[in-house]
Amino acid sequence: MRLRILGIAMVAAALVLVGCSGGAGANTIKIGWFGPETGDSALWGQAEFNTMKMMVDDYNAAGGVNVGGKKYKLEVIGYDDKGDSTEAVNVTKRLITQDKVVAIVGPQGSGEAIPIAPIADDNKVPVVATTATNPKVTVQDDGTVNSYMYRACFTDPYQGKVAATFAYQKLNKRKAAIVMTVDDPYSAGLSQYFKQSFEQLGGKVVEQVSFTSGEKDFRAALTKVKASNPDVIFMPDYYNDVALIARQARDLGINQLLLGGDGWPSDNLIQLAGNALEGCMFINHLDFDGAAAAPMRAEYKTKYGKNAELNSYMAHDALVMVVDAIQRAKSFKPADIKAALDTTDLPVATGNNDYLTNPITGHIKIGPTHDPVGKTAWLIKIVGPDMKFQESFAADS
Amino acid sequence: MNLFLQQLVNGLSIGSIYALMAVGYSLVYSIMNFSNFAHGSVIMLGAYFGYYAMTLLGLPFLGGAVAAALGSAGVAIILERLAYKPLRDRRAPFLYFIITAMGASMFIDNSVIATIGPTPKMYPNVFGQGPISIGHIDIGRVDLAMFIISAVALVALILFIDHTKLGKAIQATAYNMKASALMGISPSFVIILVFGIGGGLAGIAGILYGMKYQVFPQIGAITLKSFIAAVFGGLGSLPGALLGALLLGILETFVSGYLSSQYRDLIAFTLLIAMLVIRPSGIMGKNAEDKA
Repeated sequence: MRLRILGIAMVAAALVLVGCSGGAGANTIKIGWFGPETGDSALWGQAEFNTMKMMVDDYNAAGGVNVGGKKYKLEVIGYDDKGDSTEAVNVTKRLITQDKVVAIVGPQGSGEAIPIAPIADDNKVPVVATTATNPKVTVQDDGTVNSYMYRACFTDPYQGKVAATFAYQKLNKRKAAIVMTVDDPYSAGLSQYFKQSFEQLGGKVVEQVSFTSGEKDFRAALTKVKASNPDVIFMPDYYNDVALIARQARDLGINQLLLGGDGWPSDNLIQLAGNALEGCMFINHLDFDGAAAAPMRAEYKTKYGKNAELNSYMAHDALVMVVDAIQRAKSFKPADIKAALDTTDLPVATGNNDYLTNPITGHIKIGPTHDPVGKTAWLIKIVGPDMKFQESFAADS
Repeated sequence: MNLFLQQLVNGLSIGSIYALMAVGYSLVYSIMNFSNFAHGSVIMLGAYFGYYAMTLLGLPFLGGAVAAALGSAGVAIILERLAYKPLRDRRAPFLYFIITAMGASMFIDNSVIATIGPTPKMYPNVFGQGPISIGHIDIGRVDLAMFIISAVALVALILFIDHTKLGKAIQATAYNMKASALMGISPSFVIILVFGIGGGLAGIAGILYGMKYQVFPQIGAITLKSFIAAVFGGLGSLPGALLGALLLGILETFVSGYLSSQYRDLIAFTLLIAMLVIRPSGIMGKNAEDKA
């Protein structure tokens, strides 16, 4: 009997505690984030979460977010998904059911974003992915749009099209070779879209060689590429492989222009590649040195003592999309945020005090597939130790 | 024809590095009769020794190579003293040696990941850039250097084994350890010598591999290939290891060059299995027992 009373007392106490924490949070909007804070991609995951914390501090320092005339503080809850799809599912469930976040920013990898889509849909909590470029993140194979999945970046088909159009129209290249990672969906997908667009334009893919991840010796395959004598070599691979391939290509006397995608940008790329990539170009999500990025770049550097990565800016834009949706919806119920996200139309920041209100990586207008439509792609050229912006480019999608 | 010759050069370049690794395996196997699976980790450490000697200490390439060779030889000898000698003293079964070797390998690899980190490093470019063209064939400078250095090291090793007293001692011990001990050749000394030589070659292989590709903690995985080469040529036979390594390098390159690199490992391992089934002693091996 006494035990039962104790039990009831404990339940009551627990209820009071839960009530209290709920009460204290009434003026707070909780936003979730997850990404890899450990493992191979930790650098980018940490860059994203650092950005989230920095921005939340800035929103709160400015008095919070205005929701229908009342100011609310923001809170970000972040978890490490270790770059693992199972872990991504676990932390998504935790963010939604335990932490009761109203929206989630992240993840960065398509491999993590695709499996969490059904969870977001079932629980009706919107997710804005940062750099997950695979089409399946927002649209399933049968064409169904995942209602609660959005992204701040452009997609691989779009990126492939931009790269092909750029190579064909601006650089006047007619014969392309492709060097791709066969067991990586990003690389395989991007190759396919590049090839499709390049051939539609009238170009020819004269050689396509593939390798499996972890490969270190590309000489045999590159010798084949050399024999096909292309005008340009498209390399939709990640920076470490890009550095190795580029060095070996130059060793074999392959002097053609190498062209890549958003797997290239990294502080390590040029250090690993030496001068093998001099003059080469890649498609990026933003111009690191542009006016739009300047205020955040400076603040991030001061706060964390290192350069903001590409993922910092993508996480920024994803959070700006969420905050904008909350303000337009005048509500922070997940379903209302989702409805407002559908009509997102945010012009790019100018660099003048609009770092908390406008995206940095380009005009974000969400289309019917929940992807930004006609988003600007930025062409970057490697010049000495620097990545120099060449021109921005928007293909019709 | 040009394409064929170019791929042949690519193949020889890879084969020569397999050879440096394979002779280390074979040497230890010929004396101890077990496959030293920690050999890959010693190669990996050699790559780091060379890298730091050249970047931190600013040594030229030859200095880096000497540092890598000495460092790796030291590690190999320490490994023998700490890990294998206690097993030998207790006359442990060979399986224990193999398991210990694997354990040591994991210990070394993970120590490097924990202390230096997993990010790949790139050697400074000491040979200059751009290919050396002979006719229509382009040879990478690193590849050429690698081939010459491997050849010099391997010829020196063969001369040493065949024409010096120490070399004869190794041969005698490999032939019959008990009998040669009775003739006054200390097995312990020969074993240290063999680990030292194998380690030294591993260090040179490490620095060359690091220059050709990158320095990273998983370099050791490549030794699986040199193991195939050693079995292919005949475990315990030095000329066999050499021949096996060059053949494997060329075969792999032709598979990648004319078929696709996806089939490369498939064919390399098929070759290993086929060789073990058809001729377990390899091309030049002597006894068919105890292949491990």
